[in-house]
Amino acid sequence: MNDLGTLPDWAGLAPALALVGTALLLFLYDMIEPDSQNNLLLAGIAGIGSLTALGFAGWFLLAGTGQPDRGGAIELFDGQLVVDAMALFFMAIFASVTLLVVVASYDYLAGRANQAAYYSLVMLAATGMAVMATADSFVTAFISLELASLPSYALVASLKQNQGSVEAGLKYFLVGALSSAIFVYGISLIYVETGVLQFGEVATALASGELSGVVGLGILFIIGGFAFKTASVPFHFWAPEAYEGAPAPISAFLSSASKAAGFVLAFRVFLTALPRGSVEGTLDWVIAFQVLAIVTMTVANFAALRQEKVKRMLAYSSVGHAGFVLIALGALTSEANRSFVLGSGMAHLLVYGFMNTGAFLVIALTEHWGIGREIEDFNGLATQAPFACAALTVFLFSLAGLPLGGGFLSKFYLLLAAIDGEVALLAIALVVNSAVSVFYYTRVVKAMWVEEPADDLAIEGYPSGLYVAITFAVVLTVLLLPGFGFVLEFTSTAAETVVPG
Amino acid sequence: MMGTTALTTLAGTATVPQFISLATKDVFKLAPAIALFPLASFFISLFLGKRMPKGGALAGIAATIASLALSVWLVIELAIGGGTYQETLYTFVGGASDSAVVEHTGVELTFGLLIDPLAALMLVIVSLISLLVHLFSLGYMNDEGETGLPRYYAGLGLFTFSMLAFVYSDNLLMAFVFFELVGVCSYLLIGFWFREDAPPSAAKKAFLITRFGDYFFLIGVVAIFATFGTTAFAGENSFVTMAADGLNPDVAAEGIDTPGVSEDTWFTVLGLLVLGGVVGKSAQFPLHTWLPDAMEGPTPVSALIHAATMVAAGVYLVARMYGFFALLPTVLAVIALIGGFTALFAATMALVKQELKQVLAYSTISQYGYMMLALGGGGYVAGVFHLTTHAIFKALLFLGAGSVIIAMHHNENMWEMGGLKDRMPVTYATFLAGSLALAGIFPFAGFWSKDEVLFETLAHGLGGSPILLIAYGFGALAVVLTGLYTFRMVFLTFHGEPRTDTAEDPETVGWSVKLPLVVLGVLSVVGGVLNMGVLKDIIGESNLFLHEWLDGATMDTDLGALSASHYSEVLEADYGAGYEVTDLSPLGPGVVALVFAVVGVGAAWYLYSGADPEPKMTRLGRVRTVLLRNYYQDEYQAWLATGLTLPFSRIADKFDRGLIDGIVNGIGTVSMVVGRQFRQIQTGVVTNYAALLAFSLLLLLFAFGFVGGWF
Repeated sequence: MNDLGTLPDWAGLAPALALVGTALLLFLYDMIEPDSQNNLLLAGIAGIGSLTALGFAGWFLLAGTGQPDRGGAIELFDGQLVVDAMALFFMAIFASVTLLVVVASYDYLAGRANQAAYYSLVMLAATGMAVMATADSFVTAFISLELASLPSYALVASLKQNQGSVEAGLKYFLVGALSSAIFVYGISLIYVETGVLQFGEVATALASGELSGVVGLGILFIIGGFAFKTASVPFHFWAPEAYEGAPAPISAFLSSASKAAGFVLAFRVFLTALPRGSVEGTLDWVIAFQVLAIVTMTVANFAALRQEKVKRMLAYSSVGHAGFVLIALGALTSEANRSFVLGSGMAHLLVYGFMNTGAFLVIALTEHWGIGREIEDFNGLATQAPFACAALTVFLFSLAGLPLGGGFLSKFYLLLAAIDGEVALLAIALVVNSAVSVFYYTRVVKAMWVEEPADDLAIEGYPSGLYVAITFAVVLTVLLLPGFGFVLEFTSTAAETVVPG
Repeated sequence: MMGTTALTTLAGTATVPQFISLATKDVFKLAPAIALFPLASFFISLFLGKRMPKGGALAGIAATIASLALSVWLVIELAIGGGTYQETLYTFVGGASDSAVVEHTGVELTFGLLIDPLAALMLVIVSLISLLVHLFSLGYMNDEGETGLPRYYAGLGLFTFSMLAFVYSDNLLMAFVFFELVGVCSYLLIGFWFREDAPPSAAKKAFLITRFGDYFFLIGVVAIFATFGTTAFAGENSFVTMAADGLNPDVAAEGIDTPGVSEDTWFTVLGLLVLGGVVGKSAQFPLHTWLPDAMEGPTPVSALIHAATMVAAGVYLVARMYGFFALLPTVLAVIALIGGFTALFAATMALVKQELKQVLAYSTISQYGYMMLALGGGGYVAGVFHLTTHAIFKALLFLGAGSVIIAMHHNENMWEMGGLKDRMPVTYATFLAGSLALAGIFPFAGFWSKDEVLFETLAHGLGGSPILLIAYGFGALAVVLTGLYTFRMVFLTFHGEPRTDTAEDPETVGWSVKLPLVVLGVLSVVGGVLNMGVLKDIIGESNLFLHEWLDGATMDTDLGALSASHYSEVLEADYGAGYEVTDLSPLGPGVVALVFAVVGVGAAWYLYSGADPEPKMTRLGRVRTVLLRNYYQDEYQAWLATGLTLPFSRIADKFDRGLIDGIVNGIGTVSMVVGRQFRQIQTGVVTNYAALLAFSLLLLLFAFGFVGGWF
């Protein structure tokens, strides 16, 4: 199984180890010098840590680690963790988003307290997500999910003096606690039936015996747990509040990376532990995801229509995108070319990671400037900050699925996936909701470029960190338009290792 | 040892298609640069033109020199034995690196090169004339102190790029893209003097009318895609070859998808659709009305775009996919009839025009009619030959007209000229050479090509195609008129006494005007050497250089399905057009055509050669009025637009605004209401969230339990 040449198997976890190591380093620094305001050093450590993680993930991906031609997936700790192409692909997404968030936070946190805690919590949450991508057992799945969630609650509430932030953190925590309870209850029901927790063994056990109704209940509750993590209806209530109350870089982090983490775990659980063939006769999760996808897309996009605050509108758009990615699970019918369907979902998450993070980072920039939160506060912003506005335009139109960025192609392939799975309703919902979304994204673009600026619109300074992060995100978003074929080819291959038989 | 040899031979035949050898000579690798040089000059002129001497002209001249050099190199490479070159440059949809696309859509769209003798010849023509027009513009635009020169040279650069790329396109879709792009450049350059009234209006007219034809072309491209799954021009899997296989009963064809009609009917429909674009672009009846108006553009532009090259795009397209058209007797007959009729029809209107460029415009329409006549009448080589000679002598005539216009201070009325031959001898000599070529007088270039057009049509017509004989009749009659209007123009402009003060003392023109005239003038005199078809029996067929060239005789490899002899085979095949050739000596018809031309010239001499010629055409009375008003073509087309299309559009507009917009707005309103409802779910109270969450889960549970039969 060893395909890292001279490296031992556990080296496959290097991206996660780099992240957790950085978190511990930041703790150590905080112990030695509490209340440090040395933002550059702290952001630098966190940035180098995430860059290292990205480097490892990228290296392993290019070297073919965990792929069939290099010895197949690496199983660690008795099959509790697994490193394969899908895990590494998602680790790369998490590390990139973390890097963007850390670079952007350099300006955003300037002059605020508890910076070391902030960065170490970000790194811990990223570690949790990275482990989620590798989890191959319900135990590690639950622990890593909590490892990703608990720092997130604290991060949402990290603006301690801001009532909105604290309130959002508490609500997030309460809904999160409820959802975790539901999730772990679902796991316990599966355990009752099978007596094992490792994904592969669960599938074998389910396939071999007569199944009781308790399995269906368990599956539904597990779906609930993922719906929370991916902010899908009806477990999305926390999202608009948390994204709006949280510091904008954290909103970016949660809406991009955290959502992707929920999806990668969902992909693995439903394809390896609860494959459709093994749980036949209980609850057809493909249908359940179709329902969730349609409801999530529709509720979120229509709710976004009436939002007046840009950040909250983006929050709903992010919920809506959870619905789009759910297509990748809902279209896994027996007619579908399943690795293509799954690969489309994974590719969309990558594109989404950059365009959505970028959009929230532009919001972080406006918060940094002290511009109001309403759409009309953005009136004429392009006269003052044309580059930032152009970037936001690219992000929003790419999110809407217009061919300014990779979002156009990734949505198009989700549509092809829905057609491939022969689920017409999903395809229709995707098209209709994309059309609806163009409306509310365009409102912001129109405000920035067309409307006259208010008299007192003035911005001071062009923070370098935020601009660097936004530039990086916009370049990648645009490059993913011509480069999408390559990504899709890769994700489809990665998906093949997960899709059973 | 024996075994190895046999194996090598086998592998050789298996991998290299017989009719196309992929030459790896370096110059072919450079071929994309032929078009890219002018593209670079476009950007340079556009962005840096203001800061450059001559407003960016030098960049354009350098680029066209480079293009011309490379094109000539390609011709030499082909002439000394190089093979046809075909390569896919860029796959923008589908392709090996993105197999998922092809798997799920079955479509592959590419940009690629196809360089065969036809394309190489055309590349030389386009880059040569573009170079000369750039030079001429130094005298016509720069020396006249025009403003907006960077825009002008940028337009020329973009046009040259588009035209060259169109010429070496290896598939119909790419050809369509650049076909449209040359249309855009034409629009921009006709409307160059956009502050005046007439040019923008003429530009709009040209754009709209050619667009009308292009609608059919676009539908044709899509239909060809749907039918064959490819739009490639050449190769085993080209639509041309597939169509031939589809009609040939001896070959089992597959992969052709016709919508429930027989293959020959459907292919005829496809051919007619593509022909729509051809008729628009090459200004054939009834879509010719834009070309005379296009003369509002600067004269060098008229020479380059509206005489020598862009208008040729339509005819070139027919030649490019001649293997397809040669299968379709109905389409060929339509092409020949349109061509012959246009040749005569436009020539009659040219008789009465008073402005120099208007005569030339109608003459251009008429001459393109001859090319269409040749292609429709089975004379592939004749059509291409006339395309070549016409490009030279018509560019010459337009540039000569430009020189006269400079001299006359932009007065174009021929009745106010006269006697210019002594005052501008270079212009006169070259213009005369061009006129003799246009009129078809031995031994100038136009004589040989026009004669061959008529001969080929006659030979195929006598072989049992009476329609071709009608078209031939039109064409032969037009020869007389061509001689008449051409020399009416020459006599009025250059002979007799000066009729105005300006003509008495014309402005002098510089070397940048004279040099292109001389180059083209020499070519107009000797161009016929390319293909002296009339003397075929005397000099022997192997000395018909153009025929040999287009037949691939100079190449090491067989030109196969792109060769002139292959086209003849298809034309004469039972499954093709079914033409038959009568064995006819070209000498007789050649003499007849020459006599016709001399009659026309003689008539002009009789009517207009005096020191102070009278307007003789007024004697035609009502007929002259009809001719002057261009047979009321503009009027009926304007009526079609305002009297027929506009009311219909109004109804459509009502429908759109009332019903469609009503529905859309209704959906919008409903969406907003729904949005508000959804927004209100988010109360902000966390206990509500918990409750909603739990209830939703229960709802899902009951729903799935009910459906799954758990209860």
